[in-house]
Amino acid sequence: MRPLSMPRYCVAMLGFIIQRLLQSLLVMLAMSALVFAGVYAIGNPIDVLISPDATQQIREDAIRHYGLDLPLWRQYLAFLGRLLAGDFGRSFVFDIPVLELVLARLPATLELALASVLIGAFIGIPLGIYAGYRPEAASSRAIMAVSVLGFSVPTFWVGLLLILTFAVNLDWLPAGDRGPVVEVFGVGWSFLTAEGLTFLILPALNLSLFKLAMMIRLARAGTREIMLTDTVKFARAAGLAEFTILRRHVLRLISIPLVTVFGLEFASTLAFAVVTETIFSWPGVGKLIIDSITSLDRPVMVAYLVLVAFLFVTINLVVDLSYALLDPRLRRGGRA
Amino acid sequence: MSALLEVRDLHTHFFTRAGVVRAVEGVSFSLARGEILGLVGESGSGKSVTGFSLIGLVDPPGRIVSGSIRFDGQELVGLPQAAMRRLRGARIAMVFQDPAATLNPVLTIGQQMALAVRAHGRASEAAARDLAARTLTRVGIPDAAARLDAYPHEFSGGMRQRVAIATALLHGPELIVADEPTTALDVSIQAQILAEMKKLAKESGTALVWISHDLATVSSLADRVLVMYAGRIVESGGVSETLRAPRHPYTRGLLDSLPATARPGEKLNQIPGSTPSLLALPPGCPFAPRCPRADAACATDPPDVVTGGRLVRCHHPLAVAA
Ligand SMILES: Nc1ncnc2c1ncn2[C@@H]1O[C@H](COP(=O)(O)OP(=O)(O)OP(=O)(O)O)[C@@H](O)[C@H]1O
Ligand SMILES: [Mg+2]
Repeated sequence: MRPLSMPRYCVAMLGFIIQRLLQSLLVMLAMSALVFAGVYAIGNPIDVLISPDATQQIREDAIRHYGLDLPLWRQYLAFLGRLLAGDFGRSFVFDIPVLELVLARLPATLELALASVLIGAFIGIPLGIYAGYRPEAASSRAIMAVSVLGFSVPTFWVGLLLILTFAVNLDWLPAGDRGPVVEVFGVGWSFLTAEGLTFLILPALNLSLFKLAMMIRLARAGTREIMLTDTVKFARAAGLAEFTILRRHVLRLISIPLVTVFGLEFASTLAFAVVTETIFSWPGVGKLIIDSITSLDRPVMVAYLVLVAFLFVTINLVVDLSYALLDPRLRRGGRA
Repeated sequence: MSALLEVRDLHTHFFTRAGVVRAVEGVSFSLARGEILGLVGESGSGKSVTGFSLIGLVDPPGRIVSGSIRFDGQELVGLPQAAMRRLRGARIAMVFQDPAATLNPVLTIGQQMALAVRAHGRASEAAARDLAARTLTRVGIPDAAARLDAYPHEFSGGMRQRVAIATALLHGPELIVADEPTTALDVSIQAQILAEMKKLAKESGTALVWISHDLATVSSLADRVLVMYAGRIVESGGVSETLRAPRHPYTRGLLDSLPATARPGEKLNQIPGSTPSLLALPPGCPFAPRCPRADAACATDPPDVVTGGRLVRCHHPLAVAA
């Protein structure tokens, strides 16, 4: 983007990226161990896998088949080795590769999470900036009231309300399910057709309410602070219009906390959209994990949690890298 | 020749929860084209608020309550915001004290200056950059075209202030209000910037209101000086007469507290006491409690004594040196 001092900038960025990648790797390793140990302690999968009246022989064969007779650390090492080879094992319940199972569900959650975070950002940030710019206005107080609601009203309740209003009473939108999908890269996406979008809209709105509230808060607090600075006074003294000041100066200055929250919210929605996915029967990974917990489908749980850790680490990395794009002061020689 | 700026009986107050802060209380002065006016006084005397009143940027809860500011014949008090905005940056510009705080750290110099260029009319990217580079060159920034893509943190404090000054100069304003623009800088850089400001102002015929609490700076730069105390002008006149032979005891006190005027070994003569709260000023001369010459008469408002182009607001002015 900047023609200036590109080589120095690139070297610094490269060092920073490598350092962060190593950190991420360590985090992933620790996470995989924790997840494996944690899940191992929950129940005995063998009880689920085979009927109680199976013979001892069948029972032992099954235990050996799934490697459940080995000591814990051997199981972990074997698990880690398979992970590195891209093999997450087979689902106890569905008896198909876990990776296939999770990846089939992931796009649904991915587009739902992204849609909800985008709605939260594109509506919340302008509202928040406005509320911070005119803190005394009645409309700003109304905006803040919405954000209080967004924080305090339970997701499932809003979800049911949305279904009741828009699906049952008005009959404008479908009450649940995913509807038609378009295949791209071998997986199905809803957002590519108008009809698919109608299925996406309610669950995305439901999930976005909390993010909207968060973005409003952050944008408002940041704007209030920035409006008092000499940077804004100087821009005004140069005759800039108020809208230009908000768009070009304020938005850029408050973007770092916004990007952070955007990333974290995106990650946590990917991982924990369970409630909304359940209410709207959205076939995402949230539903998958709940099902696998009730059926003690250990490989699915493990793969899912490792995947979630991976998503968090990756999104955090992207967020950190975007700091350097947003704040030129961070670009010099990486960070400690 | 009619004055560029005519300020008459300006009152700017802040309506705070604790009460009304009368930050500017009856200030009048005028300024000719190309003239440099020093505005001095202790901290809190109302210099900045006077400056912001001129450019129409008094922060709420403050506002101009009465008085008149005529700029080139046009009344600025009560002018609609949109009209005021068109003047700001185009015909009246302002430079602030701390360039590290005024420039936006996340935009390049070129981006920020381009915003200022485009605030007053369309300009292509290339034209905006070109004007910015030329103006940066005028304020003494070498290799200006390449520096446009640098960020503020890549400049030294002095260079940053030059960027701010260049931003103020972009549209060739007739008046620049400079609020302590050298206070945050090293002494050697101060001197350079001062010399350049003086040169730029004289070259382009720009009038300058130079706010400072540093009398030495003002004496080397200004044509005339206004001394402010508690929101009022207590003395004004040509800079050399006023600073050589001040008539108001407050101006005398300010001069005596300068290191340069004290003889070696002698301790500095600070004015005793501190600036009064503007919330509840007692009637009479606000300086009286700190004044060596105060007596019973000072409990009433002092008169404006005008002699030979000089003004002093005092019951007991110092005699003009023979
Ligand atoms: N936003 C505000 N709200 C309330 N009072 C204010 C505000 N801004 C300024 N004042 C008051 O106005 C008075 C004059 O302030 P001003 O900033 O003009 O002083 P100054 O002479 O510029 O001092 P300094 O040398 O410290 O910059 C002070 O008493 C200050 O408390
Ligand atoms: Mg000030």
